[in-house]
Amino acid sequence: MEEVDRIIVHSLRSIGCDIEEDVQSLRQFSTELIVATVARCLKVISSDLELPSSLPPGMSARFRVGASLANHVQDLGYKGGDLGYQTFLYSNETEIRKIFMFLVEKLPKESSQTADEPLGASVLLHRAICTELSNQLSASWTPTFMKDRGIRSRSKPPGWQREGACCLQYYHSCPTRTPVGTANLSIKLPRETRSYYTSKLPYVTNQTRVHRDTAPSVLEANTLEVAVQQEWETEWNSVGLASRLTQQEFKRRKRERLLKLIRDRLQQDSQRQERGTGPSALNDLQQVMTSIEAQGKSGLSKTKGSRFAHTEKLQYAKDEEKTMAQMGTAAPQDTEEEQERKRQDEVDGLREELHKVTSDLEKLDLEVRKFTASQQQMDEVIMTEEKSAEEKKAAYTVKKRTLDLLPEAEANIGKLQAVVDSSAQRLVTLAKQWESHREPLIQQYRELRQLHSQRESEAEKKLEEIKVFRARMKESADEARRKEELQKQLVSEFERMTKDVNRSAYTRKILEIVANIKKQKQEIDKILVDTKSVQKEINSLSGKLDRTFTETDELVFKDAKRDESVKKAYRLLAALHENFESLIHTVEDTGVVTREIRDLEEQIESESSKKILSNLEKISEDLQQMKKENSGLIAKVKGK
Amino acid sequence: MELGSSILENISVAGDAAHISDKAFISLVQAACQGVLLEEHRNAVAENPAFKDTDKAILKEAYSGLVTLILEAAKHDSSEQNISSVLEDCKFTTDRISSFAKEFLPQKPHVQLLLGKISSSFPHIVDVDWRLDYYIKNNHLEKVNSAVYLISLKTEVPGSNDIQEVQFSCSLEQLQDLVGKLKDATKCMEKLTQG
Amino acid sequence: MLLVFEDSHKEHLSFLVGLEPEVLREFCKISMNFIRKGTNPKVFQGAAQKLGVSAESVQHGVEGLMYLLTESSKMMLNEIDFQDSIMTLGFDDDTRTTLLEVYLSQRKDIRDILNEVSMDLPHYHNLEWRFDVQLSSRSLRHQVSPSILLQLQTQEDGEKKTQMLQTDPVNLIHLTSVLEEALQEMKSGYCRRIVRNIK
Repeated sequence: MEEVDRIIVHSLRSIGCDIEEDVQSLRQFSTELIVATVARCLKVISSDLELPSSLPPGMSARFRVGASLANHVQDLGYKGGDLGYQTFLYSNETEIRKIFMFLVEKLPKESSQTADEPLGASVLLHRAICTELSNQLSASWTPTFMKDRGIRSRSKPPGWQREGACCLQYYHSCPTRTPVGTANLSIKLPRETRSYYTSKLPYVTNQTRVHRDTAPSVLEANTLEVAVQQEWETEWNSVGLASRLTQQEFKRRKRERLLKLIRDRLQQDSQRQERGTGPSALNDLQQVMTSIEAQGKSGLSKTKGSRFAHTEKLQYAKDEEKTMAQMGTAAPQDTEEEQERKRQDEVDGLREELHKVTSDLEKLDLEVRKFTASQQQMDEVIMTEEKSAEEKKAAYTVKKRTLDLLPEAEANIGKLQAVVDSSAQRLVTLAKQWESHREPLIQQYRELRQLHSQRESEAEKKLEEIKVFRARMKESADEARRKEELQKQLVSEFERMTKDVNRSAYTRKILEIVANIKKQKQEIDKILVDTKSVQKEINSLSGKLDRTFTETDELVFKDAKRDESVKKAYRLLAALHENFESLIHTVEDTGVVTREIRDLEEQIESESSKKILSNLEKISEDLQQMKKENSGLIAKVKGK
Repeated sequence: MELGSSILENISVAGDAAHISDKAFISLVQAACQGVLLEEHRNAVAENPAFKDTDKAILKEAYSGLVTLILEAAKHDSSEQNISSVLEDCKFTTDRISSFAKEFLPQKPHVQLLLGKISSSFPHIVDVDWRLDYYIKNNHLEKVNSAVYLISLKTEVPGSNDIQEVQFSCSLEQLQDLVGKLKDATKCMEKLTQG
Repeated sequence: MLLVFEDSHKEHLSFLVGLEPEVLREFCKISMNFIRKGTNPKVFQGAAQKLGVSAESVQHGVEGLMYLLTESSKMMLNEIDFQDSIMTLGFDDDTRTTLLEVYLSQRKDIRDILNEVSMDLPHYHNLEWRFDVQLSSRSLRHQVSPSILLQLQTQEDGEKKTQMLQTDPVNLIHLTSVLEEALQEMKSGYCRRIVRNIK
C-alpha cells in the first residue's frame, strides 16, 4: 500500500497539486486536501470544468462541491461503487485510494508521451522551428531605426533575428591568393616568389576590393579546392588505377591528350577560315589592315609610308596568301589622292609581281615533285634490273662450273655427291644444335609470359580488393558516424528524463508481486486439491459407515427376534450409531461456526477502518451547522 | 566540414610551434576573427606588434589557413569536438586546440551572423502607414460616399539603406479581406509556437 | 435637388413627348445600349423611317434621353426629384412613369459604368501568404529562420500587377495590429458621425 500511495502522491505532485513534503500516504490526507487534489485532477483531465480548488467554508457550499465532484468522477466512468458527497467529505481510506487510482489512470498522458517520443529528424526540426518562432515572437516590435541595420539582438534566450533586408548582400567572390609551401622545407621556393609572399602579397582579409566579399571569396576558394580534389580522386579511382600508370604519368598523358585535342580543333578552324567561309572575320582583318595603313600614312612621309605599308602587306601576305588576294582595294580615307593612286599603282604592280612569282614557285614545286616521283620510279627499276642481273650471273656461274666439270664427269659426280652428303650432314648437325639452343630459350619465354600474365591477374585482383576495401571503409565510417549521432541523441534524451521516479525499483517490485501471486495460486490449488481429496474420503467413509450399519442392523435385527442378548446388542448398536451421528453433526457445526467467526472478524476489521464513529460525529456537527445556516438565510430572506 | 589539402597545410603551419609561438598564436587567432568580422580590422594583422619576429610569408600562410577554418567552422556550425578532430589531423597540440576553441567559440555567433547576411530576399516589410479618406464625389459621379483607405507598406530592399514604399488603396471590404488573411497567417504562426 | 435643362435639351426631349409607351421603352432601351456600348448611327435611320421623322430628331431625342438618364444617375436623384425635374418638360403621366421606371431600374448600372470612367488608384485585389523557414544557405548551414512570403495583387484600371513581398513574424504581427486598428477606426463615433452627416 505504501508504494501505491507514494506513486499516487508523486503523480498528484507532478500535475501541480500542492501537497506538503511529509505527506506520504493517503491516510494523512485531510478533507480539504482530498477535495483540492480531486478538483485539480478533474481539471487536468478535462479542462473545461469549473471547479473550486479549495473547500468553501459554508456547509451547504461544501455539500454542493462534494456532490459535484462525485458526479464528475462518476461521469468519467468510475465503477468502484456509489459515490456521493460523503466519499469526499467524510472520507474512507480504501475508497479514496481507489478513487485516486482511477483518476491517476485517467490523467492525460501527454506529458509522459512527449518524453518518450522517438527523436526522428522531422520531430527535431519541428521542435527547433517552434522554439525559434516562440523566441522571435517573444520580442515586441521596434521601428527600423532602433535595429542595427535590420539585425536585432535578444538577450534571453541569447541570439539574434533578422527583421529587415537592408543588410543583405549578394554572394560575390573574388579570387584570392595565399602563400603555398613557405614552411615546407622539402620544396624550394624561388627567391622571387618568396620575396613576393613576404613583402607584397596582402593578407587574405585585405585582398578583396570590398570587405564584405572576403567571406564568400575564402569559402569559394576552399570549396573549389575540395571539389577539384574530389574530382581527381574519383577519376583516379575509376580510370587511373586501371591504367596502371603512376600519377604523374597519368596526368602527363591526360595533358598531352587535351593539348592535342585543342591543337586539332584550332587547325580545323583555321583551315575552315582559309577556305573563306568567314566573311565577318575577313572584314575584321580588313579593318585591322586599314587602321594599320592609316597609322602608317599619317605618321610618316609619302614614300616611307608607302614602303611601310608595303612591308606590312608583304608580311601579311606570307601568312595568308588568299586573304591578300581578296583584300581588294583597301582605300584609306584621309590622304591626298595622287599619293593614293601612285601607291595603288605600286601596290598593283607589286601584287602582279607577287602573283607571277608565286605562280612560278608553284610550277617549280610541281615539277620538283614530278621529278622526285620519277626518280623514285627509276630507282625501283634499277633495283629490279640489278636483281635480275645477279640472278643471271649466278645461273651463269653454275652453268660454267658444270661445263668445266663435265669432262671428268663421274669423278666429279662422285665428288659432288660427297660434297652434297657432307653438306647435308652439316645441315643436320646445325639443325640439332639450333634445336638444343632454341629449346631452353622457348621454355624461358613461356615461363616469363606466364609469370607476366599471373602478375597481371594478381594486380587486377588486388585492385578489386582495394576498391572493395575502400567501399567498406566508407560504409563503416558512415555507420560509425550514425551510431555516434544516435548515441548523442540517446544520451541527451536520457539526461533529460526525470530520475525521481525509480522505474527499475517499481518494475522489480511488480515482478516480485507477480511471482508471489503465482506461488500463492499454486498453494491455493494444492489446498483445493487436498480439500477435494479429504471430501472424497469423507464421502467414501460415510458411505462405508452407512452400508456397514445397515448390514449389521439387518443381521442383528434378524437375530434380535429370537435372542434377548442380541436385542440388547441391537439397542446398543443403535445408540452407538446415534451418538456417533450427533458427534459428526457437532463437528460439522463447529466447523461452520468457526468459519462464521472468521467472516465476522473480517467484517469488524473493515468496518473499524472506515472510522464510522468519527464520521458520524462530523456528520452530526455538519448537520447542525447546515441547520444553523439555513435558519440564518431564512431570517435574512424574511428580514428583507 | 571539408577543407582542401593546401588549407590543411596552412593550418598546420599555424599550429607549428617552430614558426608561430604560443602567444603569437593566440593573437593570430584573435586577429583572424577580427579581420573577418570588422572592416576596419581587415589589415590589422599587418600592424600587430605581436608578429614582429615572425616571417611574413609564414604569417600570411598561417593567417589565411585560420581565416578559412574560422569561416568553414561557422558555416557548418561545428561543435568543439569537430573542430578539435580537424585540428588534431593538422597536428595541433591539445593546448593550441583549447586556446583556439576559447578564442573562436565566443565569436562564432558573430561570424554566423555575418554569413547569414549573405543572401537575397524580396522587399521586406518593416512598417505600415495608413490613411482613411472619405470619398465624396468625382467629376463623373456624384454622391459616391464611400470610405477609402490608403495603405503604404514600408519595405527594405537588400543593399540599400532607403525605405521603398508600396502604396495601394482599399475599400472597407478589401481591407477587411486583407486583415482577415493577415490574421490567418498570424494564427497559423501562433499555433506553430505551441507545437 | 433638381436638374436644370437648357433649352436645346428641352427641344430635343420634346421629340419624345408624343410617343407611345412601347416606342418610348424602345428608345429607352436604345439609349441604355448606347450608354453601355457606344452609339450606333444606323439605328437612327431605321427608327426615323419607322416613325416617319427625320433621323436628326431621332438622334437628338435619343441623346437627350441618354443625357437625362446619366445626369440623374450621376446626381443620384431620388424619385421625387426626378419627377419634379421632368415635370417641366411637358411629358404626360404615362411617359413620366415609364421614364421613372427605367431610371430606377438602370440607375445602378449607369453608375457602375460611370465609375469605370472615373479615376482609379491602384487598389488591393488579393493577397496570398506563405510561411517558410530557411534551413540552410550556401554560406551558412543549420539555420532556422522563419519568414512569411506575401504575394500582393493590385489592380489599376483593369490591369493587374503582382508583387512579391516578404516579412518576418514580429513585423507581421505589427502589420496585422496596425491594420486592425485602422479597420476599427471606421467604427469609431467620429467616423460614423461623418458618414451619417455627409449624404
